[in-house]
Amino acid sequence: MALLDIKNLTLEIPHEGDYIRALDKVNLSVNEGEVRALVGESGSGKSLIVSAVSGSIPKHWRITADRMTWNGESLLNLSKSRRLQIMNEDIAIVFQNPLSSLDPSVTLGEQIQESIPSRLVDGKWFWQRNASRRQTTIKTLHKVGIRAHGDVMRAYPHEMPYDVGQRVMLAMALVAQPKIIIADDPTRGMETTTKTQILKLLTRLNKTRSVAILFVSHDLLAISSMADTMTVLYCGQTVESGKMKHLRKRPLHPYTKALIDSAPSFRNDLPPKSMLPNLGGSIPTLQHLPIGCRLGPRCPRAQKACVNVPGIRHIHDHTYSCHYPLHRDKR
Amino acid sequence: MMISFFRYGTLFVLTLFSLVSLSFLLAHLFPGDLLTNLSGVAPKDEKERQLLATLWAVDQSVFFRFFRYCSLIFSGEWGVSISSGLPLYDEIRRTLPATIELSFYSAVVAVVIGVPIGCLAGLKSYTKLDYTINAVAIVNYSLPVFWLGLAFILVFSLQLNWLPLSGRISLLFDIPTVTGFILIDILLSNSLNKGEAIANAIAHLAMPVLAVSLISGAALVRLLRRSVIDILDKPYIASARSRGLSSSRIFFDHVLRNALLPILPLLAIQITTLMTNAIIVETLFSWPGIGDWLLQAIYQGDYTAIRMGMLVVAALIVSLTIFVDILNRLVDPRKRMPTNATT
Repeated sequence: MALLDIKNLTLEIPHEGDYIRALDKVNLSVNEGEVRALVGESGSGKSLIVSAVSGSIPKHWRITADRMTWNGESLLNLSKSRRLQIMNEDIAIVFQNPLSSLDPSVTLGEQIQESIPSRLVDGKWFWQRNASRRQTTIKTLHKVGIRAHGDVMRAYPHEMPYDVGQRVMLAMALVAQPKIIIADDPTRGMETTTKTQILKLLTRLNKTRSVAILFVSHDLLAISSMADTMTVLYCGQTVESGKMKHLRKRPLHPYTKALIDSAPSFRNDLPPKSMLPNLGGSIPTLQHLPIGCRLGPRCPRAQKACVNVPGIRHIHDHTYSCHYPLHRDKR
Repeated sequence: MMISFFRYGTLFVLTLFSLVSLSFLLAHLFPGDLLTNLSGVAPKDEKERQLLATLWAVDQSVFFRFFRYCSLIFSGEWGVSISSGLPLYDEIRRTLPATIELSFYSAVVAVVIGVPIGCLAGLKSYTKLDYTINAVAIVNYSLPVFWLGLAFILVFSLQLNWLPLSGRISLLFDIPTVTGFILIDILLSNSLNKGEAIANAIAHLAMPVLAVSLISGAALVRLLRRSVIDILDKPYIASARSRGLSSSRIFFDHVLRNALLPILPLLAIQITTLMTNAIIVETLFSWPGIGDWLLQAIYQGDYTAIRMGMLVVAALIVSLTIFVDILNRLVDPRKRMPTNATT
């Protein structure tokens, strides 16, 4: 049973009297206890999906979906109080930029404490409850690898280095004991050891508490070791989605292949000092989106049919949308 | 933190110094006898002249004279008014509290009116309510204070006869001056009917305070509205929402403080406007404050009074502005030195 199930999510942003499709029929589902990676270049709309799920899309943007459900409950037309309850108790989001996602005028300790849902606070009187909140905060800070909890709790966001801020964001997500953690690029800007620690922590949470994790990143290396399944996004379209090991072994979409080829660690057959293969060009801006398959202009395999949006095709639980997938060569 | 206090202290002292020098310069620039301009007394005979000349060091060099001028000012020897012959220190001591009282109540009323309405307009931005509030605020802000005061007099005193026309308190009440602040004086006095006296003083206060505070309040509404709209767009508000915090919690814990912080320095600028408006309003309502007093001095060409009155009002505004700056530094964590955890 899918915890988070999104089918044909379309997000349109008004621009000069017209609407731009920033997300075009995106499909994504996260099962219970699963680690799903959501991969794509910057500008591919990863963070937009995150904000769509969290409900922080500006009112004048148009959002439509065949299905966007949380545990079978539609997220699109929730009552305000129910939405708050779900966001408070079940879904936790680690945002991309800790410095701007933390209130600059409130200490970090207070900010972590206020995200603890009241059902997780022990005690009857306010001083007992405050002590309980403080205990939980300190424990969680230790868990994310901050030992100087006193200093961090007293500090304001601008006094933090980037990676500590990121850990605090993570701690804020953890105190609520959510069913799913949506991590929007949580390891960005961290050095490798810290990154490994955070990844290990997330993996451990996933294994011991069976927290589902939606890991949004462009860092393939970081993800590939921990993710069970992966969804690849290009320019607001889901390109390919399936089990991590299948995708790594045999990508069907040219974009996935380019993505995996560009990471040297995935290649054993690479001769020394050879150039890494990559796709020419860069991701188009939202104002100049190509029609049909948006990879079209950059795709080495593009043909006439690519001006139409390709449908979704399945091979077992591996889905892709391409007119000329890679497996056809091999036959 | 100590360093910035020290810096503000230096700024304060330097500004005061230049104000004092300016007033010293004015005494030399005003027409007439220098000794009269400084002391306010036209000496009747040579003996008195000699006495005053030694006190104000008129025959000495300019530097020594300036030094003497400063020391006299700081010891409260401000000379006498040319027109009334009363010591200026006592005159200002009598009139300044009335002005401070009027401005202070106006500031409080402006905040009490402005903050909730500004927040409301910001939260309901781009709705009919917001447009209405904005329109009213703009109209209010653009009204000249003397016109507003006259309109109030016309409506509330002359037509409806609800509020008294002028003065601080009805002559029936005999309140001895202790602090100069009428409400405090009433509480300190041993008058029999304090309740009535206070009600009467408040009725006298109502119109001038309202006239000044409506204009400052309108400015506050507009500043705060903009600030709240800006803050609501910030990612940390989206992040707080995504953590499932209730709207009231988000507003009081995250929006309000962050919205007030950036407008605090702008309020320091508003203080000047507020004081100026209060001074203008005093003349309308015959409020015995420093504005009324200064205007009389200007009419009568009372140079000593003009000089000292300007110095005192300027010093007051400078100290208030620096005080708000320091306050801003104290409450805004971003302006503090990073002393906590830098792991």
